[in-house]
Amino acid sequence: MKINISTTLNDRTLEVSVYPNQTLLEFLRDDLCLKGSVEGCGVGVCGSCTVLVDNRPVSSCLMLATDAAGKRITTIEGLGRNGALDPVQEAFLKHQAFQCGYCTPGMIMAVKGLLLNNPHPTESQARDYLSGNLCRCGTYVEVLAAVQELAGR
Amino acid sequence: MALVGRDVTMVGGLAKVTGAVNYAPDLQFPRMLYAKALRSPYPHANILRIDTAKAEKLPGVVAVITQDDLHGLNPYFGPVVDDQPVVATERVRHVGEVVALVAGESREIAEEAVGLIEIDYEELPAVFDILEAIKPDAPVLHAQRKETTAGVHREEFNFQVGGNVCSVYHVEDGDIKKGFLEADEIIENTYTLPPVQHGHIEPHAATAYWEPSGKLVLHTATQNPSGIQEQLAQIFKLPENQVRVIVPLVGGGYGGKTHARLEPALALLARKARRPVQWVLTRDEVFLTGRRYGALVKIKTGFKRDGRILARQVEAFYEIGAYALNGPVNAKTGCYVSSGPYNIPNRSLTTYSVYTNLPPTGPFRGVGVSHVCWAYESEMDDIARRLNVDPVELRLKHLVRERDIFVTGEELISVGVTDCLCRTAEAIGWKGKEEQAVPPEKKNLLRGKGLAVAIKSTTTPTTSSASVRLNADGSAVLLTSSVEIGQGLLTSMAQIVGEELGLPFERVTVSSPDTDVTPYDKSTSSSRTTFHMGQAAQQAARDVKNQLLDVAAKKLEARIEDLELRDGSVSVRGVPDKKMSIAEIFRTRFGSTVGSMFGGYCFKTAGGLDPETGKGKAAAFWFFSACGAEVEVDVETGKVRVLKAVTAADAGHAIHPKQCGLQNEGSLLSGMGSALFEEMVYDNGQPINSNFLEYMLPSLEDHPQEFQSILVETPHPDGPFGAKGVGEAALPPVAPAIGNAIANALGGVRIRDLPIKPDKLVAALQAEKENR
Repeated sequence: MKINISTTLNDRTLEVSVYPNQTLLEFLRDDLCLKGSVEGCGVGVCGSCTVLVDNRPVSSCLMLATDAAGKRITTIEGLGRNGALDPVQEAFLKHQAFQCGYCTPGMIMAVKGLLLNNPHPTESQARDYLSGNLCRCGTYVEVLAAVQELAGR
Repeated sequence: MALVGRDVTMVGGLAKVTGAVNYAPDLQFPRMLYAKALRSPYPHANILRIDTAKAEKLPGVVAVITQDDLHGLNPYFGPVVDDQPVVATERVRHVGEVVALVAGESREIAEEAVGLIEIDYEELPAVFDILEAIKPDAPVLHAQRKETTAGVHREEFNFQVGGNVCSVYHVEDGDIKKGFLEADEIIENTYTLPPVQHGHIEPHAATAYWEPSGKLVLHTATQNPSGIQEQLAQIFKLPENQVRVIVPLVGGGYGGKTHARLEPALALLARKARRPVQWVLTRDEVFLTGRRYGALVKIKTGFKRDGRILARQVEAFYEIGAYALNGPVNAKTGCYVSSGPYNIPNRSLTTYSVYTNLPPTGPFRGVGVSHVCWAYESEMDDIARRLNVDPVELRLKHLVRERDIFVTGEELISVGVTDCLCRTAEAIGWKGKEEQAVPPEKKNLLRGKGLAVAIKSTTTPTTSSASVRLNADGSAVLLTSSVEIGQGLLTSMAQIVGEELGLPFERVTVSSPDTDVTPYDKSTSSSRTTFHMGQAAQQAARDVKNQLLDVAAKKLEARIEDLELRDGSVSVRGVPDKKMSIAEIFRTRFGSTVGSMFGGYCFKTAGGLDPETGKGKAAAFWFFSACGAEVEVDVETGKVRVLKAVTAADAGHAIHPKQCGLQNEGSLLSGMGSALFEEMVYDNGQPINSNFLEYMLPSLEDHPQEFQSILVETPHPDGPFGAKGVGEAALPPVAPAIGNAIANALGGVRIRDLPIKPDKLVAALQAEKENR
């Protein structure tokens, strides 16, 4: 049996039906075809499925879709306005803070969450905050450089 | 040069930062079904009965395949020996082996159906340990191997018959007995490495369907489209043009996606279902599907008191799991470099690949080399300590130089290892012999620095072919089956083609692999793409260029040598108004400004080794690298922090220096993980940490405060613009550099079994105290 919820996704209000056992990630990918959030581990460790829920980064593989009711969800597809990139995306491009790119949307959402909650993080705060986003290609130096620039440091 | 050697903007970045890339798990097709596997719960068992009736009756289940569906096929496959069944036949040889595969209308239905399949097994004795597996009375995994090497289609690896030893490789020079007799001192140790995960964040994923004509189409996250095409054609007895392999951008590989994993069973399932079927592994299934070999390395070195190393003997055993995959290749590749990048007059080097009842393995960044490098570079520091000399000096005395003859008998070309070591030592702040001094007592946090170097071959001989298509508007496409896995070939190949054709960077694009369109490439592995595909791309572009110059020379009445191709025009050098645009050349040649001009090239490297003697030419080019690390060890808790790390690789000529640096950074992180904490753990063949909670990958918290990447450039005469590969180069020396730094922090206390976890260090320090 599906449950009707109302949620705000990427600044649009949606009235949708979701299964009670469906994760937010499954809802985004399967029902809405938003494929930018990806599953890496399925247990909330790798951060590749990170989205913002009321401006805080959350592993969407661990959150039930029903819990999105009344919340404001932002995914990678919702960053940037009118065709322009978000400053975080610009900084990732400038510092080449990606290789294969699979973890990149999740990493960008985590950085967005960091800066929304702490606009001027120190390097050590950034390392701590982003340690839940794994990049096996090894592009951490560049991610830090992007964050430091955005933090005005 | 206009493009080569410059950090141009990486291609595909916009799609990556906006989440717009369609990776293999993101693809959707009309009427697509979902696959789920039934996997063996036993490490070794006979299959007595399979009953799929209940599963097949479940609404929403479209097809189920088991061993009963293999008739008419070649049911076994593998890159060097056909020992792996498409689905288990009669016997399972590891936990997680696929026994049945279900296609359902949803993931949930497929999963439920898997639970309805009934199977009776008869458990068999199993073997997991390398040394147990080679005993004469060990349970044998592949019974047919008792008498025959049937199924072997690459003979150069010395396959064995009889027991669980799959292959043996040996090479020697000098006189090992005499060397040890003449030595003043001999040290001998055993080093081990556990299996580790590739850790690509994108799991293995593929979608298969069959066209009504009987043509198989596969969209798959692979590093090896040509190889998948070849193997699927063989399994289904089809001509290669009836197997089309399409590869999207791949979310990381590191070797883990080099061989067929999902594709054979998935193709069979899709044929039965008559609909597209997608199979995306869960993370715990990835752990059951591929990994880096565990290994045990015995190393013995004899040396004179004056610091000359006279003899080195290595015996390395690689645990390859239940199926060969490229285990024999790995053993060969590890063998001839197992004494390191050193001139040692007397050597005897032997490696074994050994079957066990553990999940299959496969190539992993630094294939075969990380294992032996862990041993020989730890040993070099131990020798220096014994001799009371600077370990850098000891290495410099023995390092191979340009045109030295290697143990394989070949001349080494483009040898940047001395530069790698010296620049790394300088960057890490190496002070010399005093780095090995015994630390002051009574400090809880001790610091130490360590260094290591490595040599590695690229797989040889191999073939890469490329085609360049030039459009009349002066834009060009490179058609290549090399795979973008994050290393940046879409960028570097465009640089090479653009440079050769004198086109601006934006005017050149690089295709994704589609075997209907893109020509053969051996595989995106062995860090071979820049060198091999780079050469093919450059020559294919030159082919186009020559066609343009030919037409222009006639029309402009000039000699070809006097022409130059730049910014979309051919002009006569020194006569700027005598020129023709590409469009004008098209009009002259084709009578119209539409059409395509094609250039092609097939680049094949020469070489190969005699399997009997191990002599010949092992590598079209050699990788050289170094790593330096500074660590802080907490002697109370055994916790190690890497404070600073430096990695250096010889890039030949860096096409895109930033991308090369990113390869060094990736190698460092992967190497740090396997040095300090990464380890797949099994209990009687049952994996017990197959998720990222219990198997940790290095995070930003582990990344050293200071990191420096160094690119040494020793141009290679056969590389495009002198370039060589760098992808894997810097990984092998990372673990021994960290191990040496720890030993130097602790006055010589050495852990020889990776990973160097806190409990091992605390125990070693305790034992040291008791011995004193």
